[in-house]
Amino acid sequence: MKGRVAWILIGLLVAILGSASILGMAKDTLVVAVMAPPRTMNPHGSDADANLQIMANIFDGLLQRDADGNLLPALATSWERVDALTWRFHLRQGVKFHNGNDFTWEDVKFSLERLKEPYPVSEFLAFGAAIAEVRPVDGDPWTIDIVTTEPVPWFVQNLHQIFIMDKESTETRSIGEIGEYPIGTGPYKFVEWVKGSYLKLEANEDYWGGPPPIKYVVFKPITESSTRVAALISGEVDLIQDVPVELFDMVKSSPNAEIITRPSRRSIWLGLRNSPGFPGSDVRVRKAIYMAINEDEIIEKVMMGHAFPCSQIPDPPTVGYDASIERLPYDPEEAKRLLAEAGYPDGFTIKLTGPNDRYVQDEQIAQAIATQLAKVGIRVELDVKPKAVYFPELDEHGLDFYLLGWFDGSYDFGRSFTKLLHTVDPERGYGGLNGASYSDPVLDKLLEASSSIVDPTLRADALRLLNRVAMQEKIAVIPLHYQEDTYALYKPSNVQFRPRPDGWIVCKDISFGG
Amino acid sequence: MISYIIRRIGQSIVVLFVVSFLCFGIFQFLGDPVLTLAGRYATQEQQELVRRSLGLDKPFYVQYAIFIRNALHGNFGLSYTSQVPVMRMILERFPASFELALVAMFIALTLGITLGVVSSLRPRSPLSRAIMAGSLLGISLPTFLVGILLILIFSVWLRVLPPFGRGEVVRIVGRWRSGLLALDGLRHLILPAITLGLYQLAVLLRLTRGGMLEALAEDYTRTAWAKGLPQRAVIFKHALRNVLIPVVTMAGLQMGELIGFSIVTESIFQWPGMGNLLLTAIYESDHPIIVAYVMLMAGLILFINLAVDILYGILNPKIRYD
Repeated sequence: MKGRVAWILIGLLVAILGSASILGMAKDTLVVAVMAPPRTMNPHGSDADANLQIMANIFDGLLQRDADGNLLPALATSWERVDALTWRFHLRQGVKFHNGNDFTWEDVKFSLERLKEPYPVSEFLAFGAAIAEVRPVDGDPWTIDIVTTEPVPWFVQNLHQIFIMDKESTETRSIGEIGEYPIGTGPYKFVEWVKGSYLKLEANEDYWGGPPPIKYVVFKPITESSTRVAALISGEVDLIQDVPVELFDMVKSSPNAEIITRPSRRSIWLGLRNSPGFPGSDVRVRKAIYMAINEDEIIEKVMMGHAFPCSQIPDPPTVGYDASIERLPYDPEEAKRLLAEAGYPDGFTIKLTGPNDRYVQDEQIAQAIATQLAKVGIRVELDVKPKAVYFPELDEHGLDFYLLGWFDGSYDFGRSFTKLLHTVDPERGYGGLNGASYSDPVLDKLLEASSSIVDPTLRADALRLLNRVAMQEKIAVIPLHYQEDTYALYKPSNVQFRPRPDGWIVCKDISFGG
Repeated sequence: MISYIIRRIGQSIVVLFVVSFLCFGIFQFLGDPVLTLAGRYATQEQQELVRRSLGLDKPFYVQYAIFIRNALHGNFGLSYTSQVPVMRMILERFPASFELALVAMFIALTLGITLGVVSSLRPRSPLSRAIMAGSLLGISLPTFLVGILLILIFSVWLRVLPPFGRGEVVRIVGRWRSGLLALDGLRHLILPAITLGLYQLAVLLRLTRGGMLEALAEDYTRTAWAKGLPQRAVIFKHALRNVLIPVVTMAGLQMGELIGFSIVTESIFQWPGMGNLLLTAIYESDHPIIVAYVMLMAGLILFINLAVDILYGILNPKIRYD
């Protein structure tokens, strides 16, 4: 009896609340569901794309990148490399910060020097350490030279993610405050950040590039991917980042949702030890492993079609990418022959280490590789673990065989190489993520030769050569595939959105169509 | 009684110390925060610089001693990633978790007791059997699945309830925002509260039913029937009242768990509570948040346990504490 009353009450409640749900109103707010909450509003405090993409809406760099990855002017109107160490920038005049302060060369100097401050200020320590001086040229405050301590050929390639802060308001506020209330020059102004719930931004009507088309933008982190998809299908949000492979068909079948994809910048590949005595020191073994892996099958069965085979680490917009490099064919018979020739007719046992919560289907990829390699006699012991445990292990350079994904934020293969494959050299910061201590003197020499080249075209040639030798001759890594970036739009909102190579959601390029 | 309480508080402090040592010890080995904080391209030297500025280069026992000294002063440190006092960060999230737990407990208590009573009156009727089968589902279905199913049904198919977040909230004082005072906030509470409370509902339902079946067979109930008292009086005044003591005790004990262990529910519904904060902190190896959270929860659960024990003694004078 009482139960019935309770049920009726609940039924009524649901009905009342449900009816109040959708209220029509003029669309002036874009709601974006992102995968990860922003960590801080300090633009130098995190080098993760989840954070940078939000900073890019509030702040400007000296330069910026368009939706194709091209480098364009921002706070600097033009730039040139004067000599190996000096870069010259012409600054944009008449730009104001959101608090009304004028943008000057001193803000640039302050921001770049701030990068050198270790924890808690900056995650761009290495970049900051390379900057020796920022000075106006011949007393002209709108032309500055930035001098580096050593030749940094990719210096400008990184400036789209080094954001310029207001000197005055940054110096007078505590680091905690700076991390909660950002003041930039960008297309959107900060309104409110309720951690874990949303970040609200308002269009900067005085933006130097003209006011952005959409008045308000709300970023909502929804980490659970099925909830993110549900939020989109139910129209709670207009745009979501990252549709998981397994929910792809569900989104596709919804009349209200539209999927947009593009190849991701991130490549997934396998690193393999080559120290003497280890099977991987024989290039025939490296080739055998390469040829025993059926990448097409991985893409079809594990990635459900949502990946693109790759033959190298960098992606097309990266300096050093070489379109002529091709994958070795899948040929288990040839793999077996190579193994026998190298002295392993019965194969060998090897441990494959990888993350299970970092890349799309990472654990399943590792399992598929173990199965495929077993067919040519290589027994794989799987060792997959959470990234919080895996990455510190990678940093100790003691792995034999590991799965890693990579893309270079500064679009430069030379930089990637020093981090991933150069002989480990802590003094110079080389080989930091070289998980298996891979070392090849020829490749190291090729890289070092490329670093001193000032001319960008010649240097790109040198990096392409390095890439070719590494991938074709040395099989420095075994490439698998590029991931696919996926987004979904709520159709009734009619959002005009074009995905970028870096995956950032840059709202000034988004509009409501029609 | 007083000496019992003092002894229990003493024990609680020892427990808190053990908890602090264990979680401090465990999290030292779960991910290195320096790797992310120094940035992807940092040299080893720069990483060491960051490590020193965090005080992580000191030996374990020194770090622990510093932590205890600060904690005794109520200072649990700054978050590595956001540079804000961690207690403030956690307490900022407390209202969301607390309200969710409150509503979940409300649902569990009202529905649990009602359905428990209903199913005990005619234990063999189809309705009772259906309720019992349902309660079995409530106990055995993983929270994760329940949450996703509710979202699928009510948000995606029926489109009557929102799938995530807190919706509109009203600021009460300072950083305390409440969703209970806004219609939109209430709508957002329903699905996560059901998800979180379902297990407790099933437990309370079974507890009530068991107690009621026993109480209805007791002499005093039969006497009440024999006296010709109305059905309502027998069931609610005589039988249910005796059953409520263990039920309420159980509910009290579970309240702490609902606040502290709503991590799965909070992550499915992107509920901006403490569980969500903890999850992010674990991903980012932000140890001060993790340690402070575990300490706070341990303190809360110890406190609730103690309070329930004391109340129990007051409610039931037959119980003696020596």
